[in-house]
Amino acid sequence: MADETKPKKGGILGVFKDIVYGMSSHEMTRYAVRSRASMEHLFILITMGDLLGVPILPPYYSLRLLPYVTPQISAWKRRMLRERDITDVLG
Amino acid sequence: MNTLVAVILGVIVVYLAYTQYARRIDRSIIQSDPKRATPATLYMDGVDFMPTNRNILFGYHFKSIAAAGPIIGAIVAAHLWGWLPALIWLVLGVSFIGWASDYSGIVISVRNEGNSLSATAHRLVSPRTRTILFVFIFFYLLLVAGAFVGIMATVLESQPRVQLGVIMLTAMGLLLGQMLYRWRTGLVGATVLTVGITLLAILTGPWTGDIFKAFNAGVNGLTANAPLVTYFDPTLAGFKGAEAKIMPSLLLWALGIAAFCYAGSVLPIWRMAQPVIYVGFWITAMAMVLGLGGAVLAPFVKPEVATFVIPAWKGWNAQLGPSGIMPLWPMLFVTIACGAISGWHALFGAVGTARQIENEADMLPVGGGSMFTEFLLGLLALLAVSVGSKGAPVGAFANGLGGFISVWGVPLQYAVSLAFAAFIVIVLVVTQLLFRVMKVTLTEWLGDVIPPMRNQHVASLISVALALLLMMTGTWIYLWQLFGGANQMMAALALLLVTVWLASVGKNWLYAGLPMIFMYITTAASILVTAYNIYYNVYQPNLAAGRTIPIVGSGLMVLVAILLVVAAAFIGYDGFRAFRKYLRQPAAAPKAAPARG
Repeated sequence: MADETKPKKGGILGVFKDIVYGMSSHEMTRYAVRSRASMEHLFILITMGDLLGVPILPPYYSLRLLPYVTPQISAWKRRMLRERDITDVLG
Repeated sequence: MNTLVAVILGVIVVYLAYTQYARRIDRSIIQSDPKRATPATLYMDGVDFMPTNRNILFGYHFKSIAAAGPIIGAIVAAHLWGWLPALIWLVLGVSFIGWASDYSGIVISVRNEGNSLSATAHRLVSPRTRTILFVFIFFYLLLVAGAFVGIMATVLESQPRVQLGVIMLTAMGLLLGQMLYRWRTGLVGATVLTVGITLLAILTGPWTGDIFKAFNAGVNGLTANAPLVTYFDPTLAGFKGAEAKIMPSLLLWALGIAAFCYAGSVLPIWRMAQPVIYVGFWITAMAMVLGLGGAVLAPFVKPEVATFVIPAWKGWNAQLGPSGIMPLWPMLFVTIACGAISGWHALFGAVGTARQIENEADMLPVGGGSMFTEFLLGLLALLAVSVGSKGAPVGAFANGLGGFISVWGVPLQYAVSLAFAAFIVIVLVVTQLLFRVMKVTLTEWLGDVIPPMRNQHVASLISVALALLLMMTGTWIYLWQLFGGANQMMAALALLLVTVWLASVGKNWLYAGLPMIFMYITTAASILVTAYNIYYNVYQPNLAAGRTIPIVGSGLMVLVAILLVVAAAFIGYDGFRAFRKYLRQPAAAPKAAPARG
């Protein structure tokens, strides 16, 4: 999805392609990304739960895994602690 | 009047409203600033918050807001009051209210850290407003689900030619999910295979129709062709009303749709919901593009399908059943919901689209642009029925759209099959999503009080059963208008929230406030009129006749109508108090969260 953030060039055909992609596949892409993120965030919760006050694994394993998890910690904390309600399901 | 003139008129209106009004609001009042960071860029997590190209977002938002609303509403309104009032409301509604609601739903979320409307209501208005909004949303979803299941079951049962197509759509959706996510097949090959087979099944409808007709007759034979339920339906016999019967075959197809929605609700989303939506998208897009193009070319190629035939004006107060009243105000404004204005759009825009807005300059093309495009879909439905197509509302739409598609050289019977299938697909994909949301809503609300509700199967089954109960009352037009009322009220509440927010930040609130006042009063009145009609047209005659299901169903609908008005009154009161407070002293802007940490 990263390259979607960059403005695409390609004239009318490019715009048409983007719109068709948005109508047909963007939701599926979002779902796939969400599924992966949910699994990863669950894993981080299990291994690094103490960062949120949930001590689960002994620190030894947390420290071994820390370098791999570090890039995601800020997004993970924000997503875990963000208030949600039923209308969030719609998006 | 012909289809070409109407399309040209529609395009001119869209152009003028977008460039002369919407853009001015965007520049002078909202002051969208391409340099201001949006929640998608501030909180980018690659999941919920993700900056996305505006063209992709336009397609995504449009696909998410376009359902049966713009189609059914325009057709029913044309039948009740004539094509002219329907056309005027579509044009004025989208130009001054509809785009503002869609756009503002996105704006308010983007300017409030990507929060949903209910979270913003909690902060700006009161905690009670948020709770009431949840109640309102649940009943709103229930009404949409009931209306959609009822419409689909009626169309499927009465149109054997589309039954194979819908069955194959489901099967191909399941196959596509398996191919993409399990077998890792390429998207293009899987798309060609599954969409191709589904299209083939739809086009063979005129041949397979007889087989399914015989099947339906066999099912009805189980009760010796005796109906399961009989009720008074004021929509029959040209809205004069007559006895209607729910036959076993109708119940069978309703149960089939319920099973489809139940499976869509409890299965992993990749397994069924999304692949079905994906296959359905191509079918619908094909029908709509061919139809709209056909409507433009029809006056030159096939004039007999291009000239308006139904009356332009039928009167102020259409007759609906022996005791029903259908005054143009307020009923027209809820009968045509999507296409002119819809609450669903703002609800979805705030949580789905707003969190992907990369640049504030994209808010108008995505939100407003999608709404103007949906207006064209509503216009297409109005054209389809105005050229005098025969049949009940959906049949008229399919026959009209089929006529437009036939302009391209497709034989009429195949074109009509494609049009029917496109309609069913549009409704089906939205309905299964609704049941997913209802399941979560029930679990969240009642899970703590009633532990079995935490079970997704229990929550899904209850949602499906409630929708079926509403559908079994027949008289789907009431359900549609109650849905329309709830939908428009949701839009009014979204505009109310936008008005309060504009006041809270010291901006001119009139562009949202004036439409809000009109929609709030109109929809509250329409819900009460609908409750009156249900009581006198359905409840009383069936009470006298001792028919249980219509009595329970219509009683439930009256109760829901009253609850909606009460909930809206509470929100309106709280909103007004907050509005006055902010007029006296604007609120401090929410603190911007750090991009990291």
